[in-house]
Amino acid sequence: MPPYGTEPESNGRHRDLIVAGVILVVAFSTLFLSRTTQQVISTAMQVTVLRPFIEVQRRLESARVRAARVDSMVARIDSLSALLTSHSALVDENRTLRDLLELSERATPEYVPATVLRPGTPGSESMFIVDVGRQDGVRNGSPVVGPFGLLGVIREVRQRDAVGMDWSHPDFRASAMLEDGSAYGLVARRAGAFREKDRLLINGIPFNLHVDAGLMVVTSGLGVLPRGIPIGRVEDEAETDPEWRKSYWLTPVVRLGAATHVLVLTERASPEVSDLWATDSVR
Amino acid sequence: MSRVGSPTIWVLVVVLTVLHLLLHVGLSYERGAPDLLTLSLLLASREVGLGRAAGLGFAFGLVEDSLSVLSFGANTVAMTLVACVGALTRDLFVGDSRLFLVSYLLIGKWSRDAAHWVAAGWVESGAGLRQPFVEQVVIAGGIASVYMAAVGIAVAVVAGFGREP
Repeated sequence: MPPYGTEPESNGRHRDLIVAGVILVVAFSTLFLSRTTQQVISTAMQVTVLRPFIEVQRRLESARVRAARVDSMVARIDSLSALLTSHSALVDENRTLRDLLELSERATPEYVPATVLRPGTPGSESMFIVDVGRQDGVRNGSPVVGPFGLLGVIREVRQRDAVGMDWSHPDFRASAMLEDGSAYGLVARRAGAFREKDRLLINGIPFNLHVDAGLMVVTSGLGVLPRGIPIGRVEDEAETDPEWRKSYWLTPVVRLGAATHVLVLTERASPEVSDLWATDSVR
Repeated sequence: MSRVGSPTIWVLVVVLTVLHLLLHVGLSYERGAPDLLTLSLLLASREVGLGRAAGLGFAFGLVEDSLSVLSFGANTVAMTLVACVGALTRDLFVGDSRLFLVSYLLIGKWSRDAAHWVAAGWVESGAGLRQPFVEQVVIAGGIASVYMAAVGIAVAVVAGFGREP
């Protein structure tokens, strides 16, 4: 009769403890990996294990958007057809007048349509994936806009898709101005009592300037974002620094949950995107 | 909990994982769908041993973190910790009843959410995004725990976990 019958089980237990301890240490170390390493791991997972599920979401979202927009598209096409009949004459007239005044052609922004995919897992609340990537001309910092204004910006570009952050991300910043051009400031997100209460705040408004509620705030073109994209409407005054500035709460023009089909600015539009929305410049 | 065969538990893990990713990533149900990944981890942890449970938790956490730009690593830490503690409960509690299973799943899921909240605070951008503890962990986490435990009981009945003596 073997005297030490429980020994193998004890060894196995000991080995289990060591393995678990090592895995725990590795798990904790993932918190402190460099941003690049984290992106490499994320990308590897997204293009392997998660790819079928992301593809399912992409196809479902595309089908949903197509179904919802058929009626709307038909109506828009009818309206556009009516407009286009008189448009060509106006374009020709505009070109002639620009030539006479020696103004350069206004560059037109080039966007690619994309579908927004939301992962729906813990910690992914302020990010989204768009189904366009480097091959479509998307680059880091490209703005993502919905029908009403700015949704967010692209943070990481891959060959066929890209990861972006929306305006509710803690790192979101946009150089902005009041629509009438009377003041410039910086827009950032402020957390609300709960997630649905997150709002935007524009900082750096001169303290002697009164801003009426309802005025639109648009991108100023001073940062990576082109000029003129609507961000939000002034709601009310948030705080006043008696020395020199005020800040105002904004109501974002893009509701995060409603943004499913968007446009992403591509690098083909212009090497310097801020020029695209600039006012006329003399040649 | 009554022991189920090793192949059965791995089949259960694969089915629940695929279902979780389909509901959360494929269909974007977010909180509308139960956390089947944590459920499968909690069920498996008491069956597969400490080392494998830790490995499973690590893998699950990494999958969730790959979709998390803000707090990379928080899910990995939370899932690995829960898996280890879940495996250790096998030595501490020999309960085999449905009541034990419900308590185990409730506490396990709530602990996972609490651990995620704490770990997200260690990451700069994650700390900026997380909601107050009461709102995110106590209220939302509590509701999610009850939801997951209810689904867990149904799964346990089908898979033969926690039969009444």
